[in-house]
Amino acid sequence: MPDWKQIVRKNLRVLRACSPEFTEEVAAHLEDSYEALLREGVTAGVAFQRTMSQIEGRRKSWLTLHLLKEELMNVLTRMNGFIRKVALPGLLTFAAYAFTMNAWMFVPAHIHSKIYRLELYRLFDVPFLLLPLGIWCLLCLLPICGALGGFLSQRNGGSRPQRIAAALFPSEIIGFLFLLVFADDFALSRFLPGYWWNTAVVLKEFGLTLLEYVVLPAAFLLLGAGVAEKIGRDRSQTHCNI
Amino acid sequence: MASVNAQIKRGSAELAVLTLLAEHPLHGYEIAKQIEAQTNGVLRFDMASLYPMLHRLERKSWVKAEWQTLPNGRRRRCYGLTASGRKQIAPLREQWRAFFHALQSVTGFQNA
Repeated sequence: MPDWKQIVRKNLRVLRACSPEFTEEVAAHLEDSYEALLREGVTAGVAFQRTMSQIEGRRKSWLTLHLLKEELMNVLTRMNGFIRKVALPGLLTFAAYAFTMNAWMFVPAHIHSKIYRLELYRLFDVPFLLLPLGIWCLLCLLPICGALGGFLSQRNGGSRPQRIAAALFPSEIIGFLFLLVFADDFALSRFLPGYWWNTAVVLKEFGLTLLEYVVLPAAFLLLGAGVAEKIGRDRSQTHCNI
Repeated sequence: MASVNAQIKRGSAELAVLTLLAEHPLHGYEIAKQIEAQTNGVLRFDMASLYPMLHRLERKSWVKAEWQTLPNGRRRRCYGLTASGRKQIAPLREQWRAFFHALQSVTGFQNA
C-alpha cells in the first residue's frame, strides 16, 4: 500500500507548509479512492496512476491556489481578531493615556508651581521618587486608562494575555520607541567618530526614563485593568447567583 | 449522459452537499461518491472542487468538521451539518425551484 501522506507531502509542497491537517485529509481521500479502484478489480499500477491524477496537472494548481487562499483568509481572520481584541482597545487606551499625561498642561500655572515645589526627593532619597508630585498625580489617573483597555478588549472577546496587552499598549509603544532610540544612539556611537557616548551616564538616564515613562505607567495601567477585571468577574458571578 | 456546465454544477453543489449531510455526517470521499452515485454520474466532484467548497461551507458555519476514528482504525475528517446549515436547505431549495420554474417558462423544458 502506497504511503499516501508521504506522496501528498512530496507532490503538494505548499500543503506541507500550510496545513498538516489538510495533508492528512487529502491523503485519506486518495487512500479511499485507491482502495475503491482495487475493489473494482483495477490493477495496482493503474489504480495508482488514476488516483495520482487527482493531484496532478490542473487539479494540483487548483488545490495549491485554494490552499493559498485559505491561508490568506486565516491570516486575515487572525489579523481581524488582533485588531478587535488588542490593537483597537490598545489605541484607545493610548489616546486616553496621552490625554491624561498631557492634562498637566491644563493645570493653572499658580497650582503648577506650588506642586512643583513639593518635589518628593525632599522627603525620600530613592531615585524613582524624584519624580515631581504632578507626575505622580497623573500616574494615579492611569488605572482608569488601563481599565478602559482591559474592558474594551474583554468586550471584544479578548483572552487574558490579549486584555493585558491592550491595557499596557501605551507602555509597550513608548518602551519600544525608547529601545529604538537607545539602539540608534548606540549604533551611531559605534560608527560616528566623536559621537558622545558615556555608557554609565546613558544607562542611568535610560533606566530612569524607562522607569518614569514605561515601568511606572505600566504598573498603574495594569492595576486598573486588574481592578476592572475583578469588578467584571464579581458582577457576572452576582448575575449567575440571581 | 449529458454533461453539466461547470457554473450550474458549482451552484447546485452546495445544496446537494447540505442535503446529503442532513442525513448523517460523512467524510470528503464518501460525499463525492454518494453524490456521484445518486446522480448517476451527472454531478461528479474531484478533490480540487470538493474541498474548497467544504471549507467554504465550514467557514460560513454551515457545516462542522471533526476527526473521527473509523472501526478499521483510520482517521477521517467527517463533515456534519450545523443548525445554521440545516436552516439554509429550505431557502436554497426554494431558490432552485424558482430558478427551474423560470427556466421552464422560458424554454418550455419539462421535468422528466
